[in-house]
Amino acid sequence: MKASRTRKSAPSRAASGKLRVSPGEWLRQHWLCAKDALQRLFSQPVNTFMTLMVIGVALLLPALLYVLGSNLAQFGNRLTETGQITAYFHDATSDADHLSLVNSLQTDDRINVVNYISTEQAMRDFADWSGLGDVMSNLEENPLPASLDIHLPASGLTDINALAEELSANELIDLVQVDEQWLIRLEQILMLGDRIVLVLVAVLAMAVLFIVGNSIRTIIANRSDEIQVMNLIGATRQYMARPFLWLGLCYGFLGGVIAWILLALMLLFIHEPASALLGFYGSEYQLIGLGWQASLSLLLGSALLGWLGARISVSRHLTKS
Amino acid sequence: MIRFDEVSQRYPGGHEALKQVSFELERGEMAFLTGRSGAGKSTLLKCIMRTESLSQGQILVSGRNIQRISDKQIPFYRRRIGVVFQDHQLLYDRSVYENVALPLRIDGYREADAARRVRAALDKVGLLSKEKMNPIALSGGEQQRVGIARAVVNRPQILLADEPTGNLDPELAADIMKLFEQFNQIGVSMLIASHDLALITRLRHRMLTLDNGRLIRDEQHPSRQGAGSS
Ligand SMILES: Nc1ncnc2c1ncn2[C@@H]1O[C@H](COP(=O)(O)OP(=O)(O)OP(=O)(O)O)[C@@H](O)[C@H]1O
Ligand SMILES: [Mg+2]
Repeated sequence: MKASRTRKSAPSRAASGKLRVSPGEWLRQHWLCAKDALQRLFSQPVNTFMTLMVIGVALLLPALLYVLGSNLAQFGNRLTETGQITAYFHDATSDADHLSLVNSLQTDDRINVVNYISTEQAMRDFADWSGLGDVMSNLEENPLPASLDIHLPASGLTDINALAEELSANELIDLVQVDEQWLIRLEQILMLGDRIVLVLVAVLAMAVLFIVGNSIRTIIANRSDEIQVMNLIGATRQYMARPFLWLGLCYGFLGGVIAWILLALMLLFIHEPASALLGFYGSEYQLIGLGWQASLSLLLGSALLGWLGARISVSRHLTKS
Repeated sequence: MIRFDEVSQRYPGGHEALKQVSFELERGEMAFLTGRSGAGKSTLLKCIMRTESLSQGQILVSGRNIQRISDKQIPFYRRRIGVVFQDHQLLYDRSVYENVALPLRIDGYREADAARRVRAALDKVGLLSKEKMNPIALSGGEQQRVGIARAVVNRPQILLADEPTGNLDPELAADIMKLFEQFNQIGVSMLIASHDLALITRLRHRMLTLDNGRLIRDEQHPSRQGAGSS
């Protein structure tokens, strides 16, 4: 036995049973396995396509919600940047008093911008906005109060209530309105959206695991002859599992590619009306796609899911010696 | 090389397929395993491959108690044994070449070394010209020879064969046996299960006869044996 072992030129089974395969050879074997997996997938195009479509659609849903969320978040970001207070002056106060308050507020660190809207300005704005210019000009007295439009930086949002209280305490001020309330609401909606995406990702990840696992189970069953032969001629479990793991990886990855393509097509389809709608709110808003980072996560994540599904299937269905 | 000590084997259903079988196959020896259908020939070979475990006794291969080999080590143990099956067990989704190369791929051979060995093995069984064909396109006898090439490509010290001539005509069967004798001459130990008494009694090798799980006869000179086994 010794003699025959020394005759061997190839990496031999050592006494420890470990294979000594060079990294290059190991890579080559994996490459062959991956190529073989792809060939097998495309040798049954209809079956493969249907499975991939199911995986793709399962992955599409969370991707879609993610895109929706990131588009809504644009508004969130805008509003957070400009926390807003509107303060209305008492009728019986003079422009001079107003301007001195504006001057003192402009030196306040907590405040980004102070816009003063005089009663005349308010009247003009209202007339423009309402189209009731003629009616308004016939009024004897201007019913609109002068006001302050105060913008806070995003970092200063915690100051917003203190500032509002200070302003109400000022005797020049009649009424203070804080826009923070619905800021928080949008934040909450976005947070809820994030949670929903997470739950959906978890549920649909399970679905992908199941779909891939089931496909691999069928393939293992179809190849039971081969597995039996491999087992008898001394293939290790890892060696027998390898093609199935690659197959799972390919399923997951290609499913991810299909989800990505479907999403891109959908975005293309809604691009025009969606851009028009968003443009209505301001030129800075536009339709946001998946972005390369999220795209990469989608593809890597789906490949990983496929691999995991195959792994679970292999551990359950590949025969034990 | 292979030693059975009071080996009994019971299938999960409760059927006792081997009953206290003891024998020893020397290194480089060639022996036939015979007996009527259901006698336990396949089971005995499976026990050597350790696809079936024993209920009693022990099997030593190269002095090593194979029941003690861990599950992780089993594949490496099996690589030292070549197996030929009655139904070839070839894979029809790949070429003759790839079928024969399978044990080498599993063993992590480099492509160039593998190619040399595969060609040598195919040459030995006379099928070098058909390496690119799909085994489905070969005759039964040719397929069996591909199976033999696969069994010997890794140069095992032990070759087991289960009904290797089962559905071949007598002439082809004799050819296959001649091939086995050639491997035996270069030192491979062989155990061949066959119920083709007419064929194996003509060959001058040891013959082990199983009957209902018991080893009822162990004869060194088959030429002396008459036909009627119980
Ligand atoms: N997996 C199994 N489970 C239960 N019983 C089995 C199993 N395999 C074989 N047997 C039984 O064990 C006995 C021996 O079977 P074995 O296959 O070893 O016979 P054999 O000598 O090879 O027969 P043949 O010449 O028909 O191949 C038979 O009675 C058979 O029914
Ligand atoms: Mg049998």
